Amino acid sequence: MLELNPILVKDLRSRMRGARAYILLTIYLLILAGVTLLLYAAISRDIGSDLNAGRRIGQALFFTIATVALIEVCLITPVLTSGSIAGEKERQTYDLLVASLLTPWQIVWGKLVSALAFALLLITAIVPVMSLAFLFGGVGLAEVLIAIVGLIVTAILYATIGLFWSALLNSSLGATSFAIGTIIALLLGIPFLIVIVSLILGSSVPSDLLDSVWFIYLSRFVAALHPFIALGATASQLAGGGDTFFEVVRTGSTNVVVPSPWVLYTVLSLIFSTLLLAASVRLVQPVQPGADRKKRVRKAVEAG
Amino acid sequence: MTPIVETHDLTRRYGTNLALDHLNLAIPEGAIFGFIGPNGAGKTTTMRILTTLLPPTSGEARVAGVSVTREPRVVRRLVGFMPDFFGVYDNMKSWEYLDFFGRSYGIPAQRRQQLIGELLELVDLAHKRDEPVMSLSRGMKQRLSLARAMMHDPRLLILDEPASGLDPRARIELRELLKELRAMGKTIMISSHILTELAEMCTHIGIIERGKLLAAGEVQEILRTMRPHRIVEIRVVAGAARAEELLRTHPDVLELRREGARAGTEVEEPPLDDETGPHTLLADFAGDEHALGDLLALLIAEGVRISHFAEQFGDLEDIFLHVTKGIV
Repeated sequence: MLELNPILVKDLRSRMRGARAYILLTIYLLILAGVTLLLYAAISRDIGSDLNAGRRIGQALFFTIATVALIEVCLITPVLTSGSIAGEKERQTYDLLVASLLTPWQIVWGKLVSALAFALLLITAIVPVMSLAFLFGGVGLAEVLIAIVGLIVTAILYATIGLFWSALLNSSLGATSFAIGTIIALLLGIPFLIVIVSLILGSSVPSDLLDSVWFIYLSRFVAALHPFIALGATASQLAGGGDTFFEVVRTGSTNVVVPSPWVLYTVLSLIFSTLLLAASVRLVQPVQPGADRKKRVRKAVEAG
Repeated sequence: MTPIVETHDLTRRYGTNLALDHLNLAIPEGAIFGFIGPNGAGKTTTMRILTTLLPPTSGEARVAGVSVTREPRVVRRLVGFMPDFFGVYDNMKSWEYLDFFGRSYGIPAQRRQQLIGELLELVDLAHKRDEPVMSLSRGMKQRLSLARAMMHDPRLLILDEPASGLDPRARIELRELLKELRAMGKTIMISSHILTELAEMCTHIGIIERGKLLAAGEVQEILRTMRPHRIVEIRVVAGAARAEELLRTHPDVLELRREGARAGTEVEEPPLDDETGPHTLLADFAGDEHALGDLLALLIAEGVRISHFAEQFGDLEDIFLHVTKGIV
């Protein structure tokens, strides 16, 4: 009978045993529910007896809940994984894992899936809160599904960032600091870069350059590295009646079709996640089969 | 006995520091091999290479004929490793700890459950099956760690300082357990600083210093060959005075003393009286086996009645201090 990954079983057993996981889930949902309640109170008072009040409340609730959930996923998932492999090193159990028949891939995959399982629990837990928006209307199924895909993809990417630092460094504290630092750099650095480039190019660059296909793709690519920008741009596009999967950029001479920001974000995130995962596996590898063969080949080449 | 561990010119560098210097080692199958050396001598490095945790810089290491660099996964099946520390997991019971490592070695669920019971019984922890690992004493944790290393039924057990930090009772229990494992046909490679204990339980030893193997072989052989001279203990029932006289004048006897007298003190007058005997004489003998046989024959021929004539083996600490220079 096929058995589950041992690391996954162990980590889930440890993580879900005791009150810690439930306390974290409760705090997460309390924050989300509190924000939702405050927002509802604020919007309903301002809107008054507008005919579209329900629709506007629904949209505001949905986008706020999605944003708060995204912030929480951005902060929680790297912390869940950054202590995983580094924690084994600190507990001095790392050698025992590496000396067993577990492959580096099994170790890394087990650590990632156990952290993601908990992140998915957090994401699943917000669905009932998010579905409150349906009571008021103004939100389509496509928007909800894109938000959930965005949350899942963000959880995977940020979990692999934490995992990479965890495989590289020997202390949980160091790995967590570097993981959070990387995420802050990404979340603040990309908007900062966009603002700076816009300021520089805004007045002096000819419109031919701004309308060129490569510039359009490059600007979309940079924007798609940021979950809030990518998902926010998708929401605006859908609110304006745009296509779910594609965006048509109108330039002076022609129309350029580019993938929707959330599609680009999903693809790029999965590519980066795969690369980070491969780097983590490489870092966990102890003695590599055939390593001495490579050494012998190198010596033979050097000897001519 | 065929060697289960073989290293040929095994070398490991950490930057400019030479941790292992062309180490050539052979451990016969079924032996308890004590690996002795000062801190930083290269014991742990050798063990980590043999457990595939560390690649050698050059040279080769084989376990049961399998190269640790070419087929590390095969070697991992053959080796059970117990490091010098006990890694703990929070919120894990003793059986779960063994179950996790059983899964890690791909042992099927049904066999695993049976094995956990057997191993906990073997290390005398069956009553602690559902106790959290964190709550076990250090000695119990070491025994549990040994059970973990045994989960996949390895042919070779590599134990790095297993007795460190244990109280005398836990040490004795561990020693008995190792003897039991040897009786089960396991080869055990063990490093320790407690030399007297190693001398008691090991069949073979290797002495390493600054990455170089200074001596290796059977314990008795090492104790015999590495000593500069041998001490012969002779218990004389009758003719003690004549025995003293013969021994004092024998060309191979460098020093003679009566039992109880300090080393370096020659036999003094008055001569021994058989009425107050029997007496025990200790002779520092420089001759070989044949010369020793001739000495015994001479004493008997001269009418000396002997109830005990045996070589006294020095302890491992003497040999260790004699062989090593104390440089790391």
